[in-house]
Amino acid sequence: MELPNLFKLVYRNIKVNTDYGTLIILIGLPALYLVFFGFGFQSFIPAGGSASSYLSFLTPGIMAFQTVMAGTVGGSMLWADRRWGMLAQLLVGPFTRLQYLLGIMLTSVMFGLAGAAVMLFGAYLLIGTISIGPIGALTIVAAILVGSIFFGSLMLLLSALVKSNNAYNSVQVLIIFVVNFASTVFYPLSPRLPIVLQALFRVNPLTYVANVVRDGYSGALAIGDVYQMAGLIVATGVFLFLSVRSYMRSGVSFS
Amino acid sequence: MASASQAATPREAVIHVEGLKHSYDGKNYALKDVSFEVKKGEVFGLLGKNGAGKSTLIKILTTLIRPSEGSVTILGMDPSKDGPKIRKRIGVVQQDESFDFTTVQGNFDLYGMLWSVPSQERTKRREELLRKFGLEDIRKKRAFDLSGGQKRRVQVAREMMHDVDILFLDEPTVGLDVIMRRQLLDFIREDVRNGLTVVFTTHNLEEADYLCDRVAVIDVGKILVLDTVGNLKNLYKGKKTIEVRVEDSGADRFYGALGHSLGSNATLNQGTEGAYVLSDNPKETLALILSVARETGVQIEWLSVRKDTLEDVFIDSVSREGS
Repeated sequence: MELPNLFKLVYRNIKVNTDYGTLIILIGLPALYLVFFGFGFQSFIPAGGSASSYLSFLTPGIMAFQTVMAGTVGGSMLWADRRWGMLAQLLVGPFTRLQYLLGIMLTSVMFGLAGAAVMLFGAYLLIGTISIGPIGALTIVAAILVGSIFFGSLMLLLSALVKSNNAYNSVQVLIIFVVNFASTVFYPLSPRLPIVLQALFRVNPLTYVANVVRDGYSGALAIGDVYQMAGLIVATGVFLFLSVRSYMRSGVSFS
Repeated sequence: MASASQAATPREAVIHVEGLKHSYDGKNYALKDVSFEVKKGEVFGLLGKNGAGKSTLIKILTTLIRPSEGSVTILGMDPSKDGPKIRKRIGVVQQDESFDFTTVQGNFDLYGMLWSVPSQERTKRREELLRKFGLEDIRKKRAFDLSGGQKRRVQVAREMMHDVDILFLDEPTVGLDVIMRRQLLDFIREDVRNGLTVVFTTHNLEEADYLCDRVAVIDVGKILVLDTVGNLKNLYKGKKTIEVRVEDSGADRFYGALGHSLGSNATLNQGTEGAYVLSDNPKETLALILSVARETGVQIEWLSVRKDTLEDVFIDSVSREGS
């Protein structure tokens, strides 16, 4: 039986992107955050709290952060394929542009989910016990799936628009930094934060991914999570549309 | 590894191009009113200088870009409607390198998988191609670590992992040494004998002479001449190309005077390494060259009369268009 084109492209993406560099970006960096921030912030925990309670707070945040890293890998795939000629080569093959783009998106989602699972396992090794109910697990998967598509779209948009390698890398690093630290990945949204920072937290989709994953992780799902997911889905739809449009319009310039 | 086409009958036109124009910016045209046909099993050469429009034409024929005007039919299908169906039946070796970040063998396997070659057949073809193209020793090397010549061989061989009716080769021999180039052309010839149609772009005239059944000379987006290699050479039967090179210090003076002295039976084309004179009467032209050298006091460093080649056709066509 012949595999559908989309799955062939996903298989190819996984095969050529499971190199050490990609794995370090995808797993190594978030794992370091988990270990260093998890234990490093211990000294700030008030009396009665413990390092493991902060780790329990941080783990779902880092799982959510995987969506950013997966999106980064997705953007890099398009960038590398364009830079090294495989985009043109695939587009003169039996694939449509849309299939190619969806292939990258689906690969990003798979990387996001796999990365989150690895982080969860890492946290289990550090904390000892983790208990997530079936509804919580499904919610986490849904949030990471949508988050991966959002950040995949954002990075593909960047990849389609930015022509210079240096500019692409610089903007990508800036996005990762801002999105990561202006979100609820590492700390909750506090009313004591400056108004501008609070606003930045609120417009940052990673905040919503982290909140929903955290509530799913800790069994505290509420109606607010439904609204947050709805907002996230709308934002993802908009960015997916923008990235597909800019990619389809961009000339296939190969050299 | 050509497939038996279901739609095309022998000598049927598998590519039909009519009134093709293309502009990237809406003002300047990279292609201006190009029309031609390519028959099944034919090796069709597109000859032209850099920037002549060859790669734009290949991009249109391989469905990568849509033409601004004109019609194109590939294997009886319209590229604007049947892109994926056409692309299933063509192979493209691009001018620029294109590899996945994996080994040579890995590139072959992935390519076969992407083009739906069944697993067992994939292994069989991979081994056959690695052997045929002399790539067995480097199969475990990463494609990006290969030399320029090895990369080109991998690119051409990889394209033969899947069945194709038409193979587009965009300057496949760039960067190859003479022996490797000849080997590659022989591999392609072998597949042509098995029914493959080849569209081949090059600016190497010897290659076109060696491989192509028909040749189109393209320049500034237009086809200047199109015929079989034999007919094109016959057009110039009796004519000879005289190569002449003089000392640098007097070159401008000499070529200027020679240009004025040549009659209507000879044309002068000046290059960076001397000049070529295409002449109906080589004896008379030789005498004239020597006399101009004497009159201008310029020393001739090299003078030779060459056999008819496709190069003469090319130089003459392009220089006529230029003038």
